[in-house]
Amino acid sequence: MTLRILIVEDEMTIALLMEDMLVELGHDVVGIAMRLPQALELARILSIDLAIIDVNLDGLVSFPVADVLHDRHVPFFFATGYGAAGIELPYKDRLVVKKPFYLKELQSAITRATT
Amino acid sequence: MSDAIFLTTFPGDGGELGALIRSFDWSKTSLGPLKRWPQSLKTVTGMLLLSPVPMVLLWGRDGVMIYNDAYSEFAGGRHPRILGTKVREGWPEVADFNDNVMRVGLAGGTLAYRDQKLTLHRHGRPEQVWMNLDYSPVLDESGTPGGVIAIVVETSAQIRAVAQLRESEARFRALVNATSDVIYRMSPDWTEMQALDGRGFLADSAGPTVRWMDINLFPEDQPGVQAAIDEAIREKSVFQLEHRVRRADGTPGWAFSRAVPLLDAEGNIMEWFGAASDVSERHRAEQHLQLVINELNHRVKNNLTMTQAIAAQTFRGAEDVAQAQAKFSARIMALAQANDLLTGERGVDVALRGVLEQAVSPHVAEGPDRCRIEGPDLQLSPKTALSLTMAMHELAVNALKYGAWSTCAGKVELTWKTYEAPPGTTRLRLEWRETGGPYVSPPARRGFGSRLIERGLATEMAGTVTMTFDPQGLVCVVDAPLRAHGR
Repeated sequence: MTLRILIVEDEMTIALLMEDMLVELGHDVVGIAMRLPQALELARILSIDLAIIDVNLDGLVSFPVADVLHDRHVPFFFATGYGAAGIELPYKDRLVVKKPFYLKELQSAITRATT
Repeated sequence: MSDAIFLTTFPGDGGELGALIRSFDWSKTSLGPLKRWPQSLKTVTGMLLLSPVPMVLLWGRDGVMIYNDAYSEFAGGRHPRILGTKVREGWPEVADFNDNVMRVGLAGGTLAYRDQKLTLHRHGRPEQVWMNLDYSPVLDESGTPGGVIAIVVETSAQIRAVAQLRESEARFRALVNATSDVIYRMSPDWTEMQALDGRGFLADSAGPTVRWMDINLFPEDQPGVQAAIDEAIREKSVFQLEHRVRRADGTPGWAFSRAVPLLDAEGNIMEWFGAASDVSERHRAEQHLQLVINELNHRVKNNLTMTQAIAAQTFRGAEDVAQAQAKFSARIMALAQANDLLTGERGVDVALRGVLEQAVSPHVAEGPDRCRIEGPDLQLSPKTALSLTMAMHELAVNALKYGAWSTCAGKVELTWKTYEAPPGTTRLRLEWRETGGPYVSPPARRGFGSRLIERGLATEMAGTVTMTFDPQGLVCVVDAPLRAHGR
């Protein structure tokens, strides 16, 4: 099933890599946000099935984006170099993909987040 | 009764001194030969020889000395030479003292000294000694004092021990005063703090208190400290813990605390004596270091992910492996350079001009005026600077391979300006313009470089990036709001 996905990632090359990986997995990347304001805006207005969120957006934490998605009942998971240790309450138990990651890891995270 | 028979009966036994007295030629002394001794003298001599207490009898006006084994130990090197000598001659260094003893004793008086300090020459050198001395007169057959008996107990060892104890106490006091550590004393089970000298770090406690935990610790830290205390009590071993404390001013601090149990003869804990040093500063530094390590670790992971991304993009569908490898190397180099911009502290901006020069300069073709970099001074967030570095690297490499720098005279003009755009916002317009290169036509296929510039940089800067393949040369224009790309 093709999913409409939002990427929240402040590193340009990583965002492009994720975009490629997601396209390869047969999904549509409907938005890339690299900073918190843009991420909040896209999280509010885009019609999406899933969001993948980096924790640190140029020095700001992305949990407000998670709050918006949570309110909209949009599935999401984190992708971060900090690993699970960087996740704060109330998202401590959320799915986390540790950077760097394999295509397979991304795929299984998507499956787990959306089912 | 012959002399020989008498000598075997008096003095009977009496140890070493008994034997010495029996064999001594008393006829050369004022006492005369043994067999002529009055009964009173014999009685007292027999009594002192049987006593384990050091005693000396000073008989007659001159105080001729008769003593026992215990006294011989006290006399040291003077024994046995002083047996049968006048006390004045036997102990010349204390002659005045003994003159007084004889005067008082023979007049029927007694003398008693406690811890009397004297300087004796028992071993050929002056020596400080302390003694308990008791002198009593001994009556002879006439009912008047015929001599003085002295009980001589040396107390030097006890006096020295007390002095050493006092010195040791003084040293301990000095140590307590010299250290900047908090010093505390605890009851055997730690329920009561007997005293605490807080040194300005913790609140002082002069008297015993059972509320010490509430005074010195925050509620959430008490169970952990209690567990370490229980362990130390159970093991009767050193208590040692670095823990958070409530400082004298009420704010949290950190202490490194160590206490040792003082045990009685049966091995029971009498009390705990402890010292705690203020390690708040060190703790703060360690926490800061941990934050830096976390941040660094994050950057490393991010960089590896970026490397992964660049590798994936560069080698995807690459027909010429050697060429792709060279491209990959150059991109990693650009990434490494861009990282220099991030080594400063987070949030510290960098100059746009420096970013552009650093990204482009490794690729500029040789020759005069091949590259002009010009524009007003502007600051960028490190993140934006990194994206711009990667994009500029791609443009520069492209120019060297296919564009203006691939010929002997082509030029690149990299210029920027700011302008006011309604409603009251400032925008940046950055232009990369190539001239004098080969005739340019749009590429058949867009590679990673183009994507990085057109898609990536545009998103990064929240603006537009247009690449125009003008026949005169490539033109790339970045138009983005200033600061809107940041926080």
